[in-house]
Amino acid sequence: MKGIILFICLLLVANSKAQELFVYTEPASNIPAHLLSTRLMSSFYKEKDGSGTNIHFMPEIRYGISGKLMLQTQAFISNRNGSLYVEGGSIYTQYKFLNNDAVKRHFRMAVFGRASYNRADIHQEEIETVGHNAGYEFGLIATQLLHKVAISSMLSYERALNNGAVYEFPNTQVNSATNYTLSFGKLMLPKKYVGYKQTNFNLMCEFLGQRLNGNGKSYLDIAPAMQFIIKSRARVDIGYRHQLYSTMQRSAPNGFLLRFEYNFYNVFKKFKQ
Amino acid sequence: MKNLFLVAVFASVSFAVNAQIKNANLQASGLTCSMCSNSIFKSLKKIAFVESVESDVENSSFQITFKTNENVDLDALQKAVSDAGFSVAKLTFVLNTNQLKVEDNAVVEIDGKSFYFINTKGKTLNGDVELKLLDKAFISPKEYKKVKDKLHTDSGKRVFNVSI
Repeated sequence: MKGIILFICLLLVANSKAQELFVYTEPASNIPAHLLSTRLMSSFYKEKDGSGTNIHFMPEIRYGISGKLMLQTQAFISNRNGSLYVEGGSIYTQYKFLNNDAVKRHFRMAVFGRASYNRADIHQEEIETVGHNAGYEFGLIATQLLHKVAISSMLSYERALNNGAVYEFPNTQVNSATNYTLSFGKLMLPKKYVGYKQTNFNLMCEFLGQRLNGNGKSYLDIAPAMQFIIKSRARVDIGYRHQLYSTMQRSAPNGFLLRFEYNFYNVFKKFKQ
Repeated sequence: MKNLFLVAVFASVSFAVNAQIKNANLQASGLTCSMCSNSIFKSLKKIAFVESVESDVENSSFQITFKTNENVDLDALQKAVSDAGFSVAKLTFVLNTNQLKVEDNAVVEIDGKSFYFINTKGKTLNGDVELKLLDKAFISPKEYKKVKDKLHTDSGKRVFNVSI
């Protein structure tokens, strides 16, 4: 299984055309100013202890304040404790501070920060402020888009806090981590653009890693994904995340992701003329 | 003093030439995907003086037609592209002229705007003429390096650097 995924990823890297609307990470490119983007992400991860499937729903709204600054808010809903339960939410902001564009290529860099609230139980050593831990994360993203290759990388610091009033962060665990990612993407279809109504088909492959600060425990995941862009304004992502190795305890590392996105343009925009 | 002022106003008016910017062709940079192109398309279409936009997704270029008798603000086109998160690599626009005299390295007032002509031999323009904007935000950084020493730099007012 790992071999097949790795092979597909290597093919993508060797033969890719730029696509950077990554599924598991954000590129350094922000969403456009005055764009209101709505998303619903669902994930289905198999519990390692055999207790079933850990389902998460994460509805999300993003807005481009300017071409350089975007805001995002997200809610975390999960079935971990039986029925669906709103565990928390987060706010995220990203600022693009470097933008070198050329025709069909760019190099961009951005900084981001996230603050999350979560009231679910803490059940693993892995730190994840998207849907598991209350806490915060900040980091740096660099994205290179060449005519045929898009590569993006992220480095961040993530800190977990107590979950709600009930679940204190276990003092036997490390509460901060360094995250690193490397992502590749390829546009498969259409071969040639003739308009906005063509459905785009993209393949992605991402590597997602974490190292716990202090004890040095780490993991590395590989996450291939496919993506459909419909009428240049809606998006469907289907991904699979698979653990390559881990020295830390994780409750459900392997599973599928499904995301729908729909974009509304020129929202809350005023005109002088 | 008042008379002198009137003479000055009259003189400046007589040098201003009425000419209409009819359309423009803009090539954007920093993108390949159609979703990105669509963001620019939506952003351009929303501009008040823009009549219509036709996009060539494959080449990231946009043919923009302006409403007649409306003031065309070329900087607003650049702002629309940068708001969408991208840059302008090239902007050419068609100006309808009538006996318009231009000279190399000289400012000409056209339709209430100041244009500085570069690499242009003195001539009289008639009919539709395509001009290329050479300001920093409208060309590639590489091209800007080549022309920057020739550009008009007057911090006081907006002067559009153009070539034919």
